[in-house]
Amino acid sequence: MEIPGVTINRDLDTEDMVVNIGPQHPSTHGVLRLITTLNGEVVKDMEPVIGYLHRGKEKMAESRSYFQYQPTIDRVEYLSSFYDHYAFVASLESIAKLKVPKRVEYIRMITMELNRISSHLLWFGTFLLDLGATSPLFYAFREREEIFKLFEDLTGARMMYNYYRFGGVTQDIPAGWLDQVRKFIDKAPKMFDEYEAIVSKNPIILDRTVGHGLMTKDQCMEYGVTGPSLRACGIAQDLRKTNPYCVYDEVDFDVPIATRGDVYDRYIVRMAEMRESLRIIRQGLAQIPGGDTAQVNAAKKAIEDAKKRGETPEELNPDWLSMGQKVNLMVFKPPAGEAITMVESPRGFLGCYIISDGTPKAYRCKWRGASFSNLSALPSLMKGHLYPDLMAIFGSLDVILPEVDR
Amino acid sequence: MDNASQDKASTDKASQAEGVNKSTLPTGGVLSGMVEIGRGMGTVLKHYFREPVTLEYPEVLPDLSDRFHGRLALLTKSDGTDLCVGCKACARVCPCDDLIQIEMHRDDNKKPVVDIFTIDMGRCIFCGNCTEVCPVDCIKMLPDFELADYSREALVLDKRDLTVSGKESDDWRAVRGFDPHVE
Repeated sequence: MEIPGVTINRDLDTEDMVVNIGPQHPSTHGVLRLITTLNGEVVKDMEPVIGYLHRGKEKMAESRSYFQYQPTIDRVEYLSSFYDHYAFVASLESIAKLKVPKRVEYIRMITMELNRISSHLLWFGTFLLDLGATSPLFYAFREREEIFKLFEDLTGARMMYNYYRFGGVTQDIPAGWLDQVRKFIDKAPKMFDEYEAIVSKNPIILDRTVGHGLMTKDQCMEYGVTGPSLRACGIAQDLRKTNPYCVYDEVDFDVPIATRGDVYDRYIVRMAEMRESLRIIRQGLAQIPGGDTAQVNAAKKAIEDAKKRGETPEELNPDWLSMGQKVNLMVFKPPAGEAITMVESPRGFLGCYIISDGTPKAYRCKWRGASFSNLSALPSLMKGHLYPDLMAIFGSLDVILPEVDR
Repeated sequence: MDNASQDKASTDKASQAEGVNKSTLPTGGVLSGMVEIGRGMGTVLKHYFREPVTLEYPEVLPDLSDRFHGRLALLTKSDGTDLCVGCKACARVCPCDDLIQIEMHRDDNKKPVVDIFTIDMGRCIFCGNCTEVCPVDCIKMLPDFELADYSREALVLDKRDLTVSGKESDDWRAVRGFDPHVE
């Protein structure tokens, strides 16, 4: 095994050593155990052991009604739970053929893209923390906090939103919320510039990331790697473009890709993706039907007043509603059928497959998380690399362990 | 998808990545590396002169939104009498099996009277499902997150702990766009 820049003294008769990394290790971002066989400092073999966080997400769906099950989804992919909710809700909507107003679709798109930024910011902070840089974590959390404040105003919770409903959202956005989002996205690019000033050309970061953890296109296909890790290898596979869901076909954005597929490229792709997300949000804010809630409420009030006067006013534009068809959440029974929704989460493809047998509970609910497939590529990436590169390579895959174990 | 735009994006990104790679490879020179580290340190230094973004929590409380998912409470009518009708809708939609316990009976006038209403806040996940299905808008969440206590038993709140006064209920409703006065 030859590693450029590393001399290994082979005079000594050394034995392989098995090192157990984790389950409790700060850099595994959860509870992951890696049984690593080392020859000196070179990783010979690696075997991830998963399941420490298994909570029976799929089985839980079979013993709870859809509405009862919905809050438990947040707890699995806790960094980007809007995506899980979207996949779940969209599957049910397509089974029950519920019509979703345009305004709701735009609210969903804006919140999902904000969620992508917050998830990538956390990745950025912890990834650099793994590499030994402490300050970027605080800067990333500062911006993340602002996004969380927006989410708190909207949903009442910072991470466990439980906001999307079958056919709509729980409540319309608060008045003035869109302006706050606009304020955030106006200053966010400056913040991203600040991060890049510290990180992107730093020689220490370059030394540890450029050329490390190279992943080829074939490898990605073998392991089913998706998301930014796939796009860093040069494959522009993004479900928002290739299979537009929600209202992504009404906004204009690019899919950032890189060429080499190393750790640095994954970083570059994610940073570019955050800027693309800002572009999507900006267009969403401009195009949202009804605009600010104050305007929608004024229109509603005008119609009510006209009705009181005994006139027959024009009905409110159905696109402006925050809930399409009102469903009784307690006894919501979609007809028998099945549906799958795939969305592009910050980590890759996220799918929710629901089989309904006409009862209030799901007959089967299957989740496809990107983290599981992305993690399975780790041993092949690590073989023949130095042990200190482990955290750079593992961190660059952006794996979230609760999603692996589900 | 639009192939032209994708190709353009890919070449842009590719050239960008190449540029970074060539100019700053470890062999590129010590000087550029020093400049970059200096730039990074400069950014860190700038933060010394900025206002802190953190709050000194016990003295300064955060500004919570009206929709905050906090401690559960039972609102009352404006005169302070029970609003809850004991329909158990909240208990049925709660994802944490038997978190909400309700017992009720009907008095001589067939009016519902709630005898027991307990919520185990220690197991509550603050999802807000119960607040959404309540037919009389009685069970709601307060912007209050300071729930720590010395024992698990102390976190099981009974009807007396959960009920808020008529005035507080009116205030809560007034801020959130409900009709404040409830008979």
